[in-house]
Amino acid sequence: MVNVLDIKVARDLWSMRLQVLSIALLVAAGVAVFVMSVSNYQALIGAMEAHYRNERFADIFVGMTRAPLSVVDRLREIDGIGIVEPRVAEPVRVIREDTNLPISGRVISLPAAGQPLLNRLHLVQGRWPDPLRPEEVIINAAYAEARAVRSGETIEVVLNGRLQGFRVVGTALSPEFIFATRAAVPLPDDRNFVVVWASEDAMAGAFDMKGAFNDALMTLAPGARPQHVLEEVDRLLAPYGGTGAYGRSDQPSHRFLKDELAEQETLSIVMPSVFFGIAAFLLNVVVGRMVEAQRGQIASLKALGFANRTIALHYFKLVTAIALLGSAIGLVVGRWFAIGVVGSYGAFFRFPSLEAQLEPWLLVAAALVSVGAANLAAASAVYRIAILAPAEAMRPETPPALHTFSWLQTIGSQRIPLQYIIAARTILGRPVRTLLTTVGIALAIPLILFGLYWFDAIDYMIDVSFGRIERGDAFVTFTEPVSADALYELRAIPGVLEAEVQRVVPITLRAGHRAYRTSATGLDSASELKVLRDSALRPIAVPSDGIMLSRTIARQLDLKAGDSVTIEVLEGSRTVREVTVRRISDDILGASVTLQRTALNRLMREGPVANVATFRFDPGQSELLWSRIRSMPKIEGSSVKALWFALFNETIGGMVVIGALVLSGFGMLIAIGVVYNSARIALQERAWELASLRIIGLTRREVSAVIISELVVELIVAIPAGLLIGRYLIELIASARASESFQIPAVIDRSSYAIAALLVIGAAIASFITIRRRIEKLDLVAVLKTRD
Amino acid sequence: MQPQAPVFVARGLTKVYGSGDSRVVALKDVDLDIRQGEFIVLLGPSGSGKSTLLNILGGLDAPTSGTARWRDHELTGASDEQLTTYRREHVGFVFQFYNLIPSLTVEENVRLVAQIASNPMTPAEALELVGLSHRAGHFPSQLSGGEQQRVAVARAIVKRPDILLCDEPTGALDVDTGRLVLAAIAKVNAELNTTTAVITHNSAIAGMAHRVLRLSGGRIVKEEPNPRRIRAEDVTW
Ligand SMILES: Nc1ncnc2c1ncn2[C@@H]1O[C@H](COP(=O)(O)OP(=O)(O)OP(=O)(O)O)[C@@H](O)[C@H]1O
Ligand SMILES: [Mg+2]
Repeated sequence: MVNVLDIKVARDLWSMRLQVLSIALLVAAGVAVFVMSVSNYQALIGAMEAHYRNERFADIFVGMTRAPLSVVDRLREIDGIGIVEPRVAEPVRVIREDTNLPISGRVISLPAAGQPLLNRLHLVQGRWPDPLRPEEVIINAAYAEARAVRSGETIEVVLNGRLQGFRVVGTALSPEFIFATRAAVPLPDDRNFVVVWASEDAMAGAFDMKGAFNDALMTLAPGARPQHVLEEVDRLLAPYGGTGAYGRSDQPSHRFLKDELAEQETLSIVMPSVFFGIAAFLLNVVVGRMVEAQRGQIASLKALGFANRTIALHYFKLVTAIALLGSAIGLVVGRWFAIGVVGSYGAFFRFPSLEAQLEPWLLVAAALVSVGAANLAAASAVYRIAILAPAEAMRPETPPALHTFSWLQTIGSQRIPLQYIIAARTILGRPVRTLLTTVGIALAIPLILFGLYWFDAIDYMIDVSFGRIERGDAFVTFTEPVSADALYELRAIPGVLEAEVQRVVPITLRAGHRAYRTSATGLDSASELKVLRDSALRPIAVPSDGIMLSRTIARQLDLKAGDSVTIEVLEGSRTVREVTVRRISDDILGASVTLQRTALNRLMREGPVANVATFRFDPGQSELLWSRIRSMPKIEGSSVKALWFALFNETIGGMVVIGALVLSGFGMLIAIGVVYNSARIALQERAWELASLRIIGLTRREVSAVIISELVVELIVAIPAGLLIGRYLIELIASARASESFQIPAVIDRSSYAIAALLVIGAAIASFITIRRRIEKLDLVAVLKTRD
Repeated sequence: MQPQAPVFVARGLTKVYGSGDSRVVALKDVDLDIRQGEFIVLLGPSGSGKSTLLNILGGLDAPTSGTARWRDHELTGASDEQLTTYRREHVGFVFQFYNLIPSLTVEENVRLVAQIASNPMTPAEALELVGLSHRAGHFPSQLSGGEQQRVAVARAIVKRPDILLCDEPTGALDVDTGRLVLAAIAKVNAELNTTTAVITHNSAIAGMAHRVLRLSGGRIVKEEPNPRRIRAEDVTW
């Protein structure tokens, strides 16, 4: 026979169905956000690892001027080296009919056998080149997509100064170009950077590399000491113009990917965990009140002789059913969103396969936390009631603090309608409950703010990096340093409004046994188009001598102002110099090594040259302007801010917007759940009292005022408190990540605060309406028959 | 006291709950006239429809069919607003479970009604009538059951109601306390000429009435005028 209490569980679930649903949705939202985010993050990590493993991403990278292939065997002999893959890699320019923009790129040799041993290609489309046809090449899929290049098309490449046509036969992904970029340009630009994989023979011919190589990939043997291996490689390659071997952490694509993943970690792990934690707490509050509202029933069950355990078990079943329902909805919805959201990542993170993962432990953990939080709340509520004598528990709860508040009566309350006195006494007479409800509503606000914050952070970063720091409309890079004449030439081009040049040099900084591979930027002292800024957006002046390091780099090298550091230049003369760290800067974005251009020129023992130009231009004249620029000598590549914006919106923008929308959507759902439940439970607890008021002739409006004014007071306290808590939590999360080279500022726009507050107010108004409806439907006759 | 013209006129009142197998007929074709100032006692076994009838007269419930009118207030087919106004302006209720507001003091519970009535006595006067002036500042939880019920009576009468409806007002009380409550009700009936209906299971109380109605199975099965009324103090049970 079915236990009668179990029938009661089913009946209670049904009779409280709207409330049950809203609590279940609260759980579902928390679980969904958690499951979705964590599984997305795992998908990214998993896809990266799989790509690196399947395509055999190298551990060590090194470039040199030219070395005979016989050196390869000597490299293999180095203790700790596994596989060595020699190749030829050179910068190239690509000419397209349909654009005047200079497109730069890299051409990389493919062995006659097809797949290299390391940094293999994942063919996306097309086929491998025919070894007998040196004109056939594979290009990177990102560029092919951005420029809509199809197999069979010809690509015009400037190889070593000579224009040569290649036939594209396939597009591919490579672990070394997940983010394809070149030094000196701050962000990947798929439209203007191409990777061309051409046959060894074609390359050897074009670059005079027969029997030689200028780039090598290596793996570490198990148990190798990386630092030692790097030093040995450098020693061996020094005579061949080696530019310094480096590991994955200095590989540009990998470094960028790591930074992006660190940012994703905040978005996907830290924030959703906080989100889920708050949701669990709110579940606790809501369930606790729901059980407490059944005080009379619990007391009666006790009076009938049910053991506390049996009663507690009864409520455990009730809340577990709700929590499991919520978890199940959350898992399904979270999984569904994960699949959708991870799809939007694909445009940005170029992995061969990117699929939402769903780890079983994740499901179990999420369900356990929800069920646990709900049962904890139920247990403590049952306990609080069970310790009372049944007789006492059966009496309606009279706030113990009430007597103390009769002063409310004396202070002119003759004029205050008594329904407000009832509300005020209830609020003050049950301070713990009021506090919990208020905190509950307040905590719903950060959940909405979390999502909105991402929009603000992105806006802010765009504004900062492109409005305040990189202020030019476009960059061009030169294949080799050019004199100041280039600047005059650039300024003379019609449509160029303002132009400046920079000297950007790839370097390795060494301090003791620590090294950091980056590039040094030489800025003119009057630089206006590139202005470094600190976190308060104040311009950071470049010191007149010595170098300035971002704090993140200084920390990694354990350097402080006044220390000296070794700079190894990785191009041209390969100068090695000791310089003084003049200043540690708190750059708001990125990590930079900056000095005066004249100082960098001196260090390089070169004249007043530059290799990057940035300028502002009149978009109306861009056609002519770019064709003039393209015909300038030694132009390598270009990057246009407007184009970059478009790309950004398609990729990062889309990705973050979806994530943030989902997050704030679920936050809103929780806010509604909490507000509605607070109102609903208040109504349930007071149904008898409210019905009594109706019977003696108070109108619906007057009776509603009792409950609604209580909630309004709680909202008035909760909303500002919630906004403050939200701000604090976001600052906490942002600062927790500040040690990464990528900093996400804790900026929250006023409109976000307003939206969060308005959404909660909206949820409250919707709850008020349902409460009004319930008060209208209050069954006066039924209430008279019971005392519960 | 000379009975006056009927103020309550009910014709063919029928109340049916549910349908099909679970159909319960709570009132069957009840006709009833009550005169101004009359003191009515309703007797009858449990489930006979007493509360249902009283609730309809008090504007808390609507009959399934039939009509009920108080003076010019049509109680059947009235909107919730109209019924609220009717209760607010004319009816005082006393129930078995007191129905006091726990977060309001005794005085405030009474003033709650005074604040919405058009011609109320002061809460102090009402409390004086039930002999509870000295407990005005206490909360309901600090009073005994009988005291709470007298507060309920004070609350019911503070507006000088035209009608006083009491559903087992002494149901939860001992004899002495019950007498105090009954005395308060009788006093209001006598002094304010309030039309009064009291439901009780205690036939002794019937001695206080002008007229006793006996219900059974949803019908008024017996109507007895009571020419020899006794005082509340003389009720025994
Ligand atoms: N909501 C309801 N649904 C179904 N039946 C109901 C409902 N309310 C009352 N009844 C039935 O209507 C009949 C009359 O009920 P009523 O409350 O008027 O009786 P009563 O005479 O006041 O009884 P008591 O002396 O026990 O209070 C009863 O049989 C009862 O079961
Ligand atoms: Mg009854």
